[in-house]
Amino acid sequence: MTENVDHDLKVDYSRDEMARQHFVSGMRTYVLNNLSGGMRTVYNKKVEPNFKKKNKRVPKTAPEIHKALKDETIFKFYSSMRCNTQEMVWRSVIPGIERQAEDLSAKTKVLAQSTQKANGTLTLDPKLAIPRYTADLDVHLMPGNYHEEHIPDDVSQGAIFDNGLSVFAMGFLGPRMDDITQSVSTYFTKRYPDFKPKAILDMGCTLGHSTLPWKQRYPNAEVTGIDVGAPSVRYAHGRAQSYGVSANFAQKDAEHTAYPDESFDVIYSCMFLHEVPKKNIRNIFKEAYRMLKPGGVMLHYELPPNKMLSAYDSFYLDWDSFYNKEPFYKAFRDSDPQEECTAAGFKKNKYFQYVAPSLNFYGESAIIKAIADAKANTEGENHMGRLVDGVQWFTFGAWK
Amino acid sequence: MFAVKAKKSQAKLRQSVKGKQMRFFEAQGVDELVSICMTLAQELWVVKERLASVEAAAAKKGVILGQEIESFAFSPEQRAMVDEEKKQFIERVFFTLREQAESLETKPTAEPDGPKVP
Repeated sequence: MTENVDHDLKVDYSRDEMARQHFVSGMRTYVLNNLSGGMRTVYNKKVEPNFKKKNKRVPKTAPEIHKALKDETIFKFYSSMRCNTQEMVWRSVIPGIERQAEDLSAKTKVLAQSTQKANGTLTLDPKLAIPRYTADLDVHLMPGNYHEEHIPDDVSQGAIFDNGLSVFAMGFLGPRMDDITQSVSTYFTKRYPDFKPKAILDMGCTLGHSTLPWKQRYPNAEVTGIDVGAPSVRYAHGRAQSYGVSANFAQKDAEHTAYPDESFDVIYSCMFLHEVPKKNIRNIFKEAYRMLKPGGVMLHYELPPNKMLSAYDSFYLDWDSFYNKEPFYKAFRDSDPQEECTAAGFKKNKYFQYVAPSLNFYGESAIIKAIADAKANTEGENHMGRLVDGVQWFTFGAWK
Repeated sequence: MFAVKAKKSQAKLRQSVKGKQMRFFEAQGVDELVSICMTLAQELWVVKERLASVEAAAAKKGVILGQEIESFAFSPEQRAMVDEEKKQFIERVFFTLREQAESLETKPTAEPDGPKVP
């Protein structure tokens, strides 16, 4: 089985297939540390001085840095090898899933029907139109994306994302690849101890790794994950049942969910918006505002906005938007989260943002300290922490 | 013997990414060469990891059997050793790229010129 995929839908891989996965994780470490470090050195020692000589100033923006670096051999190798590594992530998990597709589907059905450990519901909508931003491309170079179906009652794409994410994350997302949600939801519950939500919605939930921790934080709440991909929600439901967590999953488009007005206390997303075009994000925020009860909260854990980072860090993060089939990522990072929230109806003074330290890396005490620091800060809720230091998760949102 | 898992499924999953392929080098074929080299490195790693497991299993039991190797798992200490070897292996194969960056930091101030290339 793939490391960190320890539930009943785990895939039986051969030793050689496992070794292939280990290689990809190692290769990613090399590209993201050594090669990326080398590219930074070439920029500092060669590209920036040359630019300064020619223009009498250093590059000020991410596009200027991108333009100045892109002809360097190291940039080409970094880029080519990052793309290759990314494709190899998925190719290292697909053969085993292809081999066991029917078996995984049958196991998912058994888990869905069993109420032994958990009793979450699954709702599919075969008529749902897949939005173009999902249907038209293999997002982050993942063949088949979150929604393609290969056999009846297929869960393959959910399994590909789960196993692939494990190879991709190399352990840094924690044992169930849920560190982002574990960290952010811990921060949230410690920051607002009196807030007791009854209904919680996770938008763009994929394999449900972002959904389950909220059920663990608020066991009495009804927690639901929605996604447009049928294989994703089927898989997410089976995975949750296997872990004994009663969460509901439904195949729905976050832009028009058909849930009643004022039906949720918390509506959130995890690393979802950067894969969505700006105009759809605006619709999603309006839909969230409509579905939220007064006093409820919308929050999103996401990539940090470009304006909060240095020009080089912005260039570095935006690379994915140009080359990793995440075309909407840059426009999202260029936008102002506060403006987007207010455009959807949220009051400007109800906006907040925070940076949650990783629970997996630093423990609960670091999160409690970050909350104390944020409270002590004169900017109040807008305390940002030091984004580029260590593993931390940027979150923004607004109260209704 | 090669340990190939039998495919019982009728599913046909796609491995190629649809749409435009990313290309970075001007000269035709270089991006493909990078891809081939990386897969070669990966396959070599597969051999190395398998061999490491053969050696470890042999040392443990004194015999080498296909099935035994297939189900063998490294101890945490062995896994740490293998991971370290993997890191060094990758750094070796792609050394030329590290050299590009390092040569800028170690650039001599006055390197004597060799004979002129005719």
